[in-house]
Amino acid sequence: MIEVQHLTKRYGRVTAVEDVSFRVERGEIFGFLGPNGAGKTTTMRILTGFIPPTEGKAIVAGFDVFDQPIEAKRRTGYLPETPPLYPDMSVIEYLTFVAKIKGVPTAERRQRIQAVMERTRIDDMADRLCSKLSKGYRQRVGLAQAIVHNPDVLILDEPTAGLDPKQIIETRELIKELAGDHTIILSTHILPEVSQTCQRVVIINKGHVVALDTPDNLTARLRGSETMYVQVDTNGLDAAGALQRIAGVTRVAESDRRDGLVGYEIESQHGRDVRRDLARAVVSNGWGLLELRPMRMSLEEIFLSLTTEETPTPMPAITEGEPVHE
Amino acid sequence: MSNILAIAHKELKSYFASPIAYIVIGLFALLYGYFYVAILAYFVRQSLQMSEFGGQGPQAMDINQQLIRPLMTNVTILVLFVMPMVTMRTYSEEKRSGTIELLLTSPLTDFQIIMGKFLGALALWGIMLLVSMIHLAILFVYGREWKPLLTAYLGLLLLGGCFLSVGLFISTLTKNQVVAFMLTFTVFLFLWIITWIGSFAGPTVDSLTQYLSIIDHFDDFGKGVIDTTHVIYYVSFITFGLFLTAKSVDSERWRA
Repeated sequence: MIEVQHLTKRYGRVTAVEDVSFRVERGEIFGFLGPNGAGKTTTMRILTGFIPPTEGKAIVAGFDVFDQPIEAKRRTGYLPETPPLYPDMSVIEYLTFVAKIKGVPTAERRQRIQAVMERTRIDDMADRLCSKLSKGYRQRVGLAQAIVHNPDVLILDEPTAGLDPKQIIETRELIKELAGDHTIILSTHILPEVSQTCQRVVIINKGHVVALDTPDNLTARLRGSETMYVQVDTNGLDAAGALQRIAGVTRVAESDRRDGLVGYEIESQHGRDVRRDLARAVVSNGWGLLELRPMRMSLEEIFLSLTTEETPTPMPAITEGEPVHE
Repeated sequence: MSNILAIAHKELKSYFASPIAYIVIGLFALLYGYFYVAILAYFVRQSLQMSEFGGQGPQAMDINQQLIRPLMTNVTILVLFVMPMVTMRTYSEEKRSGTIELLLTSPLTDFQIIMGKFLGALALWGIMLLVSMIHLAILFVYGREWKPLLTAYLGLLLLGGCFLSVGLFISTLTKNQVVAFMLTFTVFLFLWIITWIGSFAGPTVDSLTQYLSIIDHFDDFGKGVIDTTHVIYYVSFITFGLFLTAKSVDSERWRA
Protein backbone atom coordinates (compact mmCIF):
# COMPACT_ATOMS: atom_id res chain seq x y z
CA MET A 1 0.00 0.00 0.00
CA ILE A 2 2.81 2.35 0.91
CA GLU A 3 6.32 1.89 -0.30
CA VAL A 4 9.16 4.17 0.60
CA GLN A 5 12.48 3.66 -1.13
CA HIS A 6 15.72 5.29 -0.06
CA LEU A 7 14.09 8.56 0.84
CA THR A 8 16.45 11.42 1.53
CA LYS A 9 15.59 15.02 2.27
CA ARG A 10 18.16 17.74 2.68
CA TYR A 11 17.59 21.37 3.51
CA GLY A 12 20.69 23.09 2.32
CA ARG A 13 23.42 21.40 4.29
CA VAL A 14 21.09 19.93 6.89
CA THR A 15 19.94 16.38 6.27
CA ALA A 16 16.51 15.81 7.78
CA VAL A 17 15.96 12.29 6.53
CA GLU A 18 18.54 9.96 5.04
CA ASP A 19 17.97 6.74 3.13
CA VAL A 20 14.70 5.75 4.78
CA SER A 21 12.98 2.69 3.31
CA PHE A 22 9.96 0.73 4.47
CA ARG A 23 6.77 -0.92 3.26
CA VAL A 24 3.35 -0.81 4.79
CA GLU A 25 0.79 -3.46 3.87
CA ARG A 26 -2.91 -2.86 3.33
CA GLY A 27 -4.93 -2.47 6.52
CA GLU A 28 -1.91 -2.19 8.74
CA ILE A 29 -1.30 0.39 11.47
CA PHE A 30 2.28 1.42 11.14
CA GLY A 31 3.97 3.41 13.89
CA PHE A 32 6.55 6.06 13.39
CA LEU A 33 8.57 6.53 16.49
CA GLY A 34 11.35 8.94 17.20
CA PRO A 35 12.43 11.84 19.35
CA ASN A 36 11.46 15.35 18.31
CA GLY A 37 13.37 16.44 15.24
CA ALA A 38 14.10 12.89 14.14
CA GLY A 39 12.50 13.38 10.72
CA LYS A 40 9.03 11.95 11.34
CA THR A 41 7.15 14.99 10.11
CA THR A 42 9.48 15.43 7.15
CA THR A 43 8.88 11.84 6.05
CA MET A 44 5.14 12.25 6.41
CA ARG A 45 5.16 15.49 4.47
CA ILE A 46 6.96 13.75 1.65
CA LEU A 47 4.44 10.89 1.69
CA THR A 48 1.54 13.35 1.44
CA GLY A 49 3.16 15.27 -1.39
CA PHE A 50 3.53 18.46 0.64
CA ILE A 51 7.24 18.58 -0.03
CA PRO A 52 9.30 16.67 -2.60
CA PRO A 53 12.16 14.41 -1.52
CA THR A 54 15.75 15.21 -2.45
CA GLU A 55 16.32 11.60 -3.42
CA GLY A 56 14.41 8.36 -3.43
CA LYS A 57 10.76 7.75 -4.06
CA ALA A 58 7.50 7.13 -2.30
CA ILE A 59 4.60 5.14 -3.69
CA VAL A 60 1.23 5.55 -2.05
CA ALA A 61 -1.73 3.40 -3.08
CA GLY A 62 0.10 2.46 -6.25
CA PHE A 63 0.94 5.99 -7.37
CA ASP A 64 4.27 7.73 -7.19
CA VAL A 65 3.73 10.73 -4.95
CA PHE A 66 6.01 12.85 -7.06
CA ASP A 67 5.09 11.76 -10.58
CA GLN A 68 1.34 11.37 -10.12
CA PRO A 69 0.65 13.65 -7.19
CA ILE A 70 -3.06 14.18 -7.90
CA GLU A 71 -3.83 10.47 -8.02
CA ALA A 72 -1.79 9.77 -4.90
CA LYS A 73 -3.33 12.70 -3.00
CA ARG A 74 -6.83 11.59 -3.93
CA ARG A 75 -6.16 8.38 -2.01
CA THR A 76 -4.43 9.92 0.98
CA GLY A 77 -5.86 11.50 4.10
CA TYR A 78 -3.51 13.61 6.15
CA LEU A 79 -3.75 15.05 9.62
CA PRO A 80 -0.81 17.39 10.17
CA GLU A 81 0.57 18.10 13.62
CA THR A 82 -1.74 21.09 13.98
CA PRO A 83 -5.14 20.36 12.44
CA PRO A 84 -5.46 22.62 9.38
CA LEU A 85 -8.73 24.31 10.34
CA TYR A 86 -10.09 27.60 9.04
CA PRO A 87 -11.02 29.49 12.20
CA ASP A 88 -13.86 31.44 10.61
CA MET A 89 -15.70 28.41 9.21
CA SER A 90 -18.16 26.25 11.09
CA VAL A 91 -17.35 22.55 11.34
CA ILE A 92 -19.88 21.64 8.68
CA GLU A 93 -18.77 24.40 6.31
CA TYR A 94 -15.20 23.30 6.78
CA LEU A 95 -15.93 19.66 6.06
CA THR A 96 -18.01 20.65 3.03
CA PHE A 97 -15.09 22.65 1.68
CA VAL A 98 -12.65 19.81 2.30
CA ALA A 99 -15.03 17.29 0.70
CA LYS A 100 -15.24 19.52 -2.38
CA ILE A 101 -11.51 19.92 -2.86
CA LYS A 102 -10.88 16.25 -2.10
CA GLY A 103 -13.24 15.36 -4.92
CA VAL A 104 -16.18 13.80 -3.06
CA PRO A 105 -19.04 13.75 -5.63
CA THR A 106 -21.80 16.29 -4.93
CA ALA A 107 -24.45 13.61 -4.62
CA GLU A 108 -22.62 11.78 -1.84
CA ARG A 109 -21.25 14.82 -0.05
CA ARG A 110 -23.93 15.42 2.57
CA GLN A 111 -24.25 11.81 3.54
CA ARG A 112 -20.50 11.31 3.61
CA ILE A 113 -19.95 14.34 5.86
CA GLN A 114 -22.71 13.16 8.20
CA ALA A 115 -21.17 9.70 8.42
CA VAL A 116 -17.72 11.10 9.13
CA MET A 117 -19.03 13.46 11.81
CA GLU A 118 -20.76 10.60 13.53
CA ARG A 119 -17.71 8.43 13.35
CA THR A 120 -15.44 11.04 14.88
CA ARG A 121 -18.20 12.10 17.33
CA ILE A 122 -18.31 15.73 16.32
CA ASP A 123 -21.91 15.84 15.06
CA ASP A 124 -22.95 17.84 18.13
CA MET A 125 -20.48 20.56 17.08
CA ALA A 126 -21.55 20.79 13.43
CA ASP A 127 -22.48 24.48 13.58
CA ARG A 128 -19.73 25.59 15.94
CA LEU A 129 -17.00 27.81 14.50
CA CYS A 130 -13.67 26.01 14.28
CA SER A 131 -12.00 28.79 16.27
CA LYS A 132 -14.36 28.05 19.18
CA LEU A 133 -13.53 24.36 19.44
CA SER A 134 -11.59 22.78 22.28
CA LYS A 135 -8.29 21.09 21.54
CA GLY A 136 -9.88 17.63 21.59
CA TYR A 137 -12.56 18.62 19.13
CA ARG A 138 -10.09 20.37 16.86
CA GLN A 139 -8.13 17.16 16.68
CA ARG A 140 -11.26 15.18 15.88
CA VAL A 141 -12.34 17.62 13.20
CA GLY A 142 -8.82 17.23 11.82
CA LEU A 143 -9.34 13.49 11.75
CA ALA A 144 -12.78 13.88 10.14
CA GLN A 145 -11.18 16.05 7.49
CA ALA A 146 -8.61 13.34 6.80
CA ILE A 147 -11.17 10.58 6.24
CA VAL A 148 -13.96 12.52 4.54
CA HIS A 149 -13.01 11.28 1.06
CA ASN A 150 -12.57 7.71 2.31
CA PRO A 151 -8.88 7.48 1.43
CA ASP A 152 -6.95 4.23 1.19
CA VAL A 153 -4.10 5.64 3.20
CA LEU A 154 -4.27 7.72 6.35
CA ILE A 155 -1.25 9.62 7.55
CA LEU A 156 -1.56 10.99 11.05
CA ASP A 157 1.13 13.20 12.53
CA GLU A 158 0.97 12.88 16.32
CA PRO A 159 -2.79 12.39 16.45
CA THR A 160 -2.91 12.31 20.25
CA ALA A 161 -0.56 15.19 21.01
CA GLY A 162 -2.01 17.60 23.53
CA LEU A 163 -5.13 15.59 24.36
CA ASP A 164 -6.25 14.59 27.82
CA PRO A 165 -6.03 10.89 28.82
CA LYS A 166 -9.67 10.17 28.07
CA GLN A 167 -9.43 11.78 24.64
CA ILE A 168 -6.22 9.91 23.97
CA ILE A 169 -7.94 6.59 24.63
CA GLU A 170 -10.90 7.60 22.44
CA THR A 171 -8.62 8.68 19.62
CA ARG A 172 -6.67 5.43 19.80
CA GLU A 173 -9.88 3.43 19.69
CA LEU A 174 -11.01 5.43 16.70
CA ILE A 175 -7.71 4.83 14.92
CA LYS A 176 -7.99 1.10 15.57
CA GLU A 177 -11.52 1.13 14.19
CA LEU A 178 -10.31 2.89 11.07
CA ALA A 179 -7.58 0.36 10.38
CA GLY A 180 -8.75 -2.35 8.07
CA ASP A 181 -10.62 0.06 5.81
CA HIS A 182 -7.59 2.28 5.73
CA THR A 183 -3.88 1.74 5.89
CA ILE A 184 -2.58 3.97 8.64
CA ILE A 185 0.76 5.53 9.38
CA LEU A 186 0.93 7.41 12.62
CA SER A 187 3.78 9.17 14.29
CA THR A 188 4.24 9.67 17.96
CA HIS A 189 6.83 10.05 20.61
CA ILE A 190 4.59 8.43 23.20
CA LEU A 191 5.82 4.86 23.46
CA PRO A 192 2.89 3.02 25.01
CA GLU A 193 0.78 4.37 22.19
CA VAL A 194 2.84 2.41 19.72
CA SER A 195 2.63 -0.88 21.59
CA GLN A 196 -1.12 -0.38 22.02
CA THR A 197 -2.10 0.63 18.52
CA CYS A 198 0.52 -0.31 16.00
CA GLN A 199 1.19 -3.61 14.34
CA ARG A 200 4.64 -2.58 13.23
CA VAL A 201 6.98 0.15 14.28
CA VAL A 202 9.83 1.98 12.68
CA ILE A 203 12.11 3.86 15.02
CA ILE A 204 13.95 6.72 13.43
CA ASN A 205 16.57 8.90 14.92
CA LYS A 206 18.44 11.79 13.32
CA GLY A 207 16.87 10.92 10.00
CA HIS A 208 17.95 7.28 10.00
CA VAL A 209 15.90 4.13 10.49
CA VAL A 210 17.35 2.44 13.58
CA ALA A 211 14.79 -0.32 13.98
CA LEU A 212 11.84 -1.75 12.11
CA ASP A 213 9.72 -4.57 13.54
CA THR A 214 6.63 -5.44 15.55
CA PRO A 215 6.55 -3.93 19.04
CA ASP A 216 6.70 -7.45 20.53
CA ASN A 217 9.69 -8.50 18.49
CA LEU A 218 11.45 -5.28 19.26
CA THR A 219 11.13 -5.86 22.97
CA ALA A 220 12.07 -9.50 22.67
CA ARG A 221 14.89 -9.10 20.27
CA LEU A 222 16.91 -6.37 21.72
CA ARG A 223 18.58 -8.71 24.17
CA GLY A 224 20.50 -11.65 22.77
CA SER A 225 19.39 -13.81 25.71
CA GLU A 226 16.15 -14.18 27.60
CA THR A 227 16.00 -13.01 31.18
CA MET A 228 13.66 -14.34 33.84
CA TYR A 229 12.96 -12.94 37.22
CA VAL A 230 12.34 -15.44 40.01
CA GLN A 231 11.47 -14.65 43.58
CA VAL A 232 11.79 -17.53 46.02
CA ASP A 233 11.36 -18.10 49.74
CA THR A 234 14.36 -20.24 50.74
CA ASN A 235 14.36 -19.63 54.49
CA GLY A 236 17.75 -17.99 54.19
CA LEU A 237 19.42 -20.56 51.96
CA ASP A 238 21.23 -19.57 48.82
CA ALA A 239 19.38 -20.83 45.76
CA ALA A 240 21.82 -19.55 43.18
CA GLY A 241 23.78 -22.79 42.93
CA ALA A 242 20.71 -24.90 42.33
CA LEU A 243 19.38 -22.51 39.70
CA GLN A 244 22.71 -22.33 37.95
CA ARG A 245 22.67 -26.10 37.40
CA ILE A 246 19.53 -26.01 35.27
CA ALA A 247 20.28 -26.79 31.65
CA GLY A 248 20.23 -23.70 29.46
CA VAL A 249 20.80 -21.18 32.23
CA THR A 250 23.83 -19.06 31.50
CA ARG A 251 23.96 -16.70 34.43
CA VAL A 252 22.26 -16.20 37.77
CA ALA A 253 22.43 -12.92 39.61
CA GLU A 254 20.81 -11.98 42.84
CA SER A 255 18.82 -8.85 42.33
CA ASP A 256 17.08 -8.17 45.63
CA ARG A 257 16.60 -9.67 49.04
CA ARG A 258 14.21 -8.76 51.83
CA ASP A 259 12.48 -10.62 54.69
CA GLY A 260 14.03 -13.90 53.63
CA LEU A 261 12.72 -13.55 50.09
CA VAL A 262 15.35 -13.52 47.40
CA GLY A 263 14.92 -12.36 43.85
CA TYR A 264 17.17 -13.61 41.06
CA GLU A 265 17.68 -12.53 37.49
CA ILE A 266 18.30 -15.60 35.41
CA GLU A 267 19.66 -15.35 31.91
CA SER A 268 19.24 -18.27 29.58
CA GLN A 269 20.28 -19.06 26.06
CA HIS A 270 18.37 -17.24 23.40
CA GLY A 271 15.25 -19.05 22.29
CA ARG A 272 15.27 -21.51 25.17
CA ASP A 273 12.36 -21.45 27.59
CA VAL A 274 13.61 -22.47 31.04
CA ARG A 275 10.50 -21.54 33.01
CA ARG A 276 9.31 -25.11 33.58
CA ASP A 277 12.73 -26.28 34.72
CA LEU A 278 13.09 -23.28 36.99
CA ALA A 279 9.75 -23.93 38.65
CA ARG A 280 10.54 -27.62 39.06
CA ALA A 281 13.95 -26.90 40.61
CA VAL A 282 12.49 -24.45 43.12
CA VAL A 283 9.65 -26.72 44.12
CA SER A 284 11.78 -29.87 44.34
CA ASN A 285 14.11 -28.06 46.75
CA GLY A 286 11.12 -27.34 48.96
CA TRP A 287 11.30 -23.57 48.50
CA GLY A 288 8.35 -21.33 47.94
CA LEU A 289 7.98 -19.97 44.41
CA LEU A 290 6.52 -16.50 44.78
CA GLU A 291 7.12 -14.98 41.42
CA LEU A 292 8.34 -16.12 38.03
CA ARG A 293 8.18 -13.78 35.08
CA PRO A 294 10.10 -12.96 31.94
CA MET A 295 11.99 -9.69 32.16
CA ARG A 296 11.80 -7.72 29.01
CA MET A 297 13.03 -4.37 28.08
CA SER A 298 10.18 -1.99 27.89
CA LEU A 299 9.75 -0.05 24.72
CA GLU A 300 11.04 2.97 26.58
CA GLU A 301 14.33 1.24 27.26
CA ILE A 302 14.65 0.10 23.67
CA PHE A 303 13.83 3.51 22.43
CA LEU A 304 16.40 5.13 24.66
CA SER A 305 19.07 2.61 23.90
CA LEU A 306 18.48 3.00 20.19
CA THR A 307 18.19 6.73 20.03
CA THR A 308 21.02 7.60 22.39
CA GLU A 309 23.41 5.36 20.48
CA GLU A 310 26.24 7.48 19.08
CA THR A 311 26.04 5.84 15.69
CA PRO A 312 22.83 4.13 14.73
CA THR A 313 24.57 1.34 12.82
CA PRO A 314 25.61 -1.04 15.63
CA MET A 315 22.06 -2.36 15.89
CA PRO A 316 21.94 -4.56 12.81
CA ALA A 317 20.14 -7.29 14.72
CA ILE A 318 16.98 -5.23 14.80
CA THR A 319 15.72 -5.56 11.29
CA GLU A 320 12.74 -7.26 9.92
CA GLY A 321 12.70 -10.92 8.92
CA GLU A 322 13.89 -13.70 11.14
CA PRO A 323 11.18 -14.98 13.46
CA VAL A 324 11.59 -14.72 17.18
CA HIS A 325 11.19 -17.52 19.68
CA GLU A 326 10.09 -16.84 23.16
CA MET B 1 -13.12 24.07 -12.62
CA SER B 2 -15.24 23.01 -9.67
CA ASN B 3 -12.07 23.02 -7.57
CA ILE B 4 -11.29 26.58 -8.62
CA LEU B 5 -14.81 27.66 -7.74
CA ALA B 6 -14.68 25.85 -4.40
CA ILE B 7 -11.56 27.80 -3.47
CA ALA B 8 -12.86 31.08 -4.86
CA HIS B 9 -16.04 30.62 -2.84
CA LYS B 10 -14.06 29.84 0.30
CA GLU B 11 -11.86 32.89 -0.23
CA LEU B 12 -14.79 35.21 -0.75
CA LYS B 13 -16.53 33.83 2.31
CA SER B 14 -13.44 34.25 4.45
CA TYR B 15 -13.24 37.94 3.47
CA PHE B 16 -16.73 38.40 4.81
CA ALA B 17 -16.08 36.31 7.92
CA SER B 18 -13.33 38.71 8.92
CA PRO B 19 -13.71 42.49 9.19
CA ILE B 20 -11.56 42.96 6.09
CA ALA B 21 -14.36 42.86 3.53
CA TYR B 22 -16.46 45.37 5.44
CA ILE B 23 -13.59 47.75 6.05
CA VAL B 24 -12.37 47.58 2.49
CA ILE B 25 -15.84 47.99 0.97
CA GLY B 26 -16.74 50.70 3.47
CA LEU B 27 -13.58 52.73 2.94
CA PHE B 28 -13.85 52.39 -0.80
CA ALA B 29 -17.50 53.44 -0.89
CA LEU B 30 -16.88 56.37 1.45
CA LEU B 31 -13.92 57.84 -0.43
CA TYR B 32 -15.54 57.10 -3.78
CA GLY B 33 -18.57 59.04 -2.57
CA TYR B 34 -16.40 61.93 -1.48
CA PHE B 35 -14.62 62.16 -4.83
CA TYR B 36 -17.93 61.89 -6.60
CA VAL B 37 -19.56 64.71 -4.63
CA ALA B 38 -16.53 66.97 -4.92
CA ILE B 39 -16.16 66.50 -8.67
CA LEU B 40 -19.90 66.75 -9.22
CA ALA B 41 -20.05 70.03 -7.28
CA TYR B 42 -17.24 71.42 -9.40
CA PHE B 43 -19.00 70.22 -12.54
CA VAL B 44 -22.26 71.83 -11.47
CA ARG B 45 -20.57 75.15 -10.75
CA GLN B 46 -18.91 75.11 -14.15
CA SER B 47 -22.17 74.31 -15.88
CA LEU B 48 -23.80 77.22 -14.14
CA GLN B 49 -21.05 79.55 -15.26
CA MET B 50 -21.40 78.20 -18.75
CA SER B 51 -25.12 78.87 -18.81
CA GLU B 52 -24.45 82.44 -17.68
CA PHE B 53 -22.43 82.81 -20.84
CA GLY B 54 -25.54 81.55 -22.58
CA GLY B 55 -23.90 78.38 -23.78
CA GLN B 56 -21.29 80.47 -25.63
CA GLY B 57 -18.32 79.15 -23.69
CA PRO B 58 -15.08 77.85 -25.23
CA GLN B 59 -16.38 74.30 -25.34
CA ALA B 60 -19.51 72.36 -24.52
CA MET B 61 -19.78 70.70 -21.15
CA ASP B 62 -19.29 66.96 -21.48
CA ILE B 63 -20.23 64.77 -18.58
CA ASN B 64 -17.86 62.01 -19.71
CA GLN B 65 -14.89 64.32 -20.06
CA GLN B 66 -15.53 66.47 -17.06
CA LEU B 67 -17.15 64.19 -14.55
CA ILE B 68 -16.56 60.52 -15.25
CA ARG B 69 -12.98 60.80 -16.41
CA PRO B 70 -11.58 62.82 -13.49
CA LEU B 71 -13.63 60.70 -11.12
CA MET B 72 -12.13 57.48 -12.46
CA THR B 73 -8.60 58.88 -12.32
CA ASN B 74 -9.12 59.67 -8.67
CA VAL B 75 -10.69 56.31 -7.99
CA THR B 76 -7.61 54.54 -9.31
CA ILE B 77 -5.71 56.10 -6.41
CA LEU B 78 -8.10 54.38 -4.03
CA VAL B 79 -7.23 51.10 -5.67
CA LEU B 80 -3.62 51.67 -4.70
CA PHE B 81 -4.56 51.72 -1.03
CA VAL B 82 -7.36 49.22 -0.95
CA MET B 83 -5.97 46.32 -2.98
CA PRO B 84 -2.98 45.50 -0.78
CA MET B 85 -5.49 45.05 2.06
CA VAL B 86 -7.38 42.50 0.03
CA THR B 87 -4.40 40.38 -0.93
CA MET B 88 -2.17 40.71 2.11
CA ARG B 89 -3.64 37.69 3.85
CA THR B 90 -4.37 35.31 0.98
CA TYR B 91 -1.26 33.15 1.28
CA SER B 92 0.27 34.62 4.42
CA GLU B 93 -2.65 33.53 6.56
CA GLU B 94 -2.72 30.01 5.13
CA LYS B 95 0.96 29.66 5.84
CA ARG B 96 0.69 31.02 9.34
CA SER B 97 -2.25 28.84 10.38
CA GLY B 98 -0.96 25.73 8.62
CA THR B 99 -4.01 25.36 6.38
CA ILE B 100 -1.65 25.54 3.43
CA GLU B 101 -0.84 21.92 4.30
CA LEU B 102 -4.46 21.02 3.64
CA LEU B 103 -4.49 22.75 0.25
CA LEU B 104 -1.15 21.38 -0.89
CA THR B 105 -1.93 17.81 0.16
CA SER B 106 -5.37 17.83 -1.49
CA PRO B 107 -5.76 16.64 -5.07
CA LEU B 108 -5.47 20.16 -6.44
CA THR B 109 -3.00 21.65 -8.87
CA ASP B 110 -1.17 24.86 -8.00
CA PHE B 111 -2.98 26.49 -10.89
CA GLN B 112 -6.37 25.65 -9.37
CA ILE B 113 -5.39 27.03 -5.98
CA ILE B 114 -3.97 30.24 -7.42
CA MET B 115 -6.88 30.83 -9.81
CA GLY B 116 -9.33 30.15 -7.01
CA LYS B 117 -7.67 32.68 -4.77
CA PHE B 118 -7.39 35.20 -7.57
CA LEU B 119 -11.04 34.87 -8.59
CA GLY B 120 -12.14 35.07 -4.95
CA ALA B 121 -10.29 38.36 -4.56
CA LEU B 122 -11.54 39.60 -7.92
CA ALA B 123 -15.10 38.82 -6.82
CA LEU B 124 -14.61 41.01 -3.76
CA TRP B 125 -13.32 43.79 -6.01
CA GLY B 126 -16.38 43.26 -8.20
CA ILE B 127 -18.61 43.71 -5.18
CA MET B 128 -16.81 46.92 -4.28
CA LEU B 129 -17.35 48.23 -7.80
CA LEU B 130 -21.03 47.28 -7.65
CA VAL B 131 -21.43 49.23 -4.42
CA SER B 132 -19.78 52.27 -6.00
CA MET B 133 -22.26 52.17 -8.88
CA ILE B 134 -24.95 53.40 -6.50
CA HIS B 135 -23.52 56.91 -6.86
CA LEU B 136 -23.54 56.78 -10.61
CA ALA B 137 -27.07 55.41 -10.72
CA ILE B 138 -28.26 58.94 -9.90
CA LEU B 139 -26.92 60.15 -13.21
CA PHE B 140 -29.32 57.85 -14.99
CA VAL B 141 -32.23 59.82 -13.60
CA TYR B 142 -31.16 62.48 -16.10
CA GLY B 143 -30.79 59.95 -18.89
CA ARG B 144 -27.13 59.02 -19.02
CA GLU B 145 -25.47 56.89 -21.58
CA TRP B 146 -24.18 53.72 -19.96
CA LYS B 147 -21.50 52.63 -22.42
CA PRO B 148 -18.66 54.94 -21.31
CA LEU B 149 -19.33 53.95 -17.73
CA LEU B 150 -19.13 50.32 -18.65
CA THR B 151 -15.73 50.76 -20.26
CA ALA B 152 -14.51 52.71 -17.25
CA TYR B 153 -15.62 49.91 -14.96
CA LEU B 154 -14.05 47.30 -17.20
CA GLY B 155 -10.84 49.28 -16.89
CA LEU B 156 -11.16 49.41 -13.12
CA LEU B 157 -11.80 45.68 -12.96
CA LEU B 158 -8.70 44.95 -15.03
CA LEU B 159 -6.60 47.45 -13.09
CA GLY B 160 -7.72 45.85 -9.85
CA GLY B 161 -6.89 42.44 -11.29
CA CYS B 162 -3.29 43.58 -11.88
CA PHE B 163 -2.98 44.64 -8.28
CA LEU B 164 -4.49 41.42 -7.07
CA SER B 165 -2.19 39.22 -9.12
CA VAL B 166 0.94 40.94 -7.85
CA GLY B 167 -0.47 41.17 -4.32
CA LEU B 168 -1.08 37.44 -4.42
CA PHE B 169 2.52 36.88 -5.45
CA ILE B 170 3.84 39.05 -2.65
CA SER B 171 1.69 37.32 -0.06
CA THR B 172 3.31 34.00 -0.99
CA LEU B 173 6.65 35.45 0.06
CA THR B 174 5.88 36.07 3.70
CA LYS B 175 3.89 34.81 6.66
CA ASN B 176 3.50 38.37 7.88
CA GLN B 177 0.48 40.29 6.63
CA VAL B 178 1.93 43.71 7.41
CA VAL B 179 5.03 42.92 5.41
CA ALA B 180 2.83 41.71 2.56
CA PHE B 181 0.82 44.93 2.68
CA MET B 182 3.84 47.22 2.69
CA LEU B 183 5.62 45.40 -0.13
CA THR B 184 2.51 45.33 -2.31
CA PHE B 185 1.86 48.99 -1.70
CA THR B 186 5.44 49.95 -2.50
CA VAL B 187 5.53 47.96 -5.72
CA PHE B 188 2.37 49.64 -6.94
CA LEU B 189 3.35 53.11 -5.89
CA PHE B 190 6.49 52.57 -7.90
CA LEU B 191 4.55 51.41 -10.97
CA TRP B 192 2.40 54.49 -10.51
CA ILE B 193 5.18 57.05 -10.51
CA ILE B 194 7.51 55.23 -12.86
CA THR B 195 6.84 57.86 -15.59
CA TRP B 196 8.35 60.60 -13.44
CA ILE B 197 11.86 59.72 -14.44
CA GLY B 198 10.82 59.19 -18.04
CA SER B 199 10.75 62.88 -18.90
CA PHE B 200 14.36 63.38 -17.81
CA ALA B 201 15.86 60.20 -19.16
CA GLY B 202 15.40 60.56 -22.89
CA PRO B 203 12.77 59.40 -25.34
CA THR B 204 13.48 55.66 -25.17
CA VAL B 205 13.16 55.47 -21.42
CA ASP B 206 10.19 57.80 -21.60
CA SER B 207 8.20 55.55 -23.90
CA LEU B 208 9.28 52.50 -21.93
CA THR B 209 8.16 53.92 -18.60
CA GLN B 210 4.93 55.06 -20.15
CA TYR B 211 4.32 51.59 -21.37
CA LEU B 212 5.08 50.13 -17.95
CA SER B 213 3.06 52.68 -16.02
CA ILE B 214 0.03 50.88 -14.82
CA ILE B 215 -2.02 54.04 -14.70
CA ASP B 216 -1.33 55.46 -18.18
CA HIS B 217 -3.10 52.46 -19.63
CA PHE B 218 -6.22 53.29 -17.72
CA ASP B 219 -6.72 56.69 -19.32
CA ASP B 220 -8.53 55.46 -22.43
CA PHE B 221 -10.93 53.34 -20.39
CA GLY B 222 -11.86 56.49 -18.47
CA LYS B 223 -12.60 58.25 -21.75
CA GLY B 224 -14.94 55.48 -22.75
CA VAL B 225 -12.59 53.84 -25.24
CA ILE B 226 -11.66 50.17 -25.21
CA ASP B 227 -8.27 49.94 -26.86
CA THR B 228 -7.00 46.37 -27.23
CA THR B 229 -3.44 47.57 -26.47
CA HIS B 230 -4.49 48.39 -22.95
CA VAL B 231 -6.61 45.29 -22.53
CA ILE B 232 -3.65 43.19 -23.62
CA TYR B 233 -1.36 45.09 -21.29
CA TYR B 234 -3.60 44.43 -18.31
CA VAL B 235 -4.31 40.82 -19.18
CA SER B 236 -0.62 40.09 -19.67
CA PHE B 237 0.19 41.92 -16.45
CA ILE B 238 -2.30 39.69 -14.61
CA THR B 239 -0.94 36.57 -16.28
CA PHE B 240 2.58 37.55 -15.29
CA GLY B 241 1.56 38.18 -11.69
CA LEU B 242 -0.14 34.80 -11.48
CA PHE B 243 2.84 33.17 -13.13
CA LEU B 244 5.13 34.63 -10.46
CA THR B 245 2.74 33.38 -7.81
CA ALA B 246 2.85 29.87 -9.27
CA LYS B 247 6.66 29.92 -9.38
CA SER B 248 6.85 31.18 -5.83
CA VAL B 249 4.47 28.51 -4.52
CA ASP B 250 6.43 25.85 -6.35
CA SER B 251 9.82 27.02 -5.12
CA GLU B 252 8.45 27.30 -1.59
CA ARG B 253 7.77 23.61 -1.78
CA TRP B 254 11.41 22.86 -2.46
CA ARG B 255 12.62 25.13 0.28
CA ALA B 256 10.02 24.24 2.90
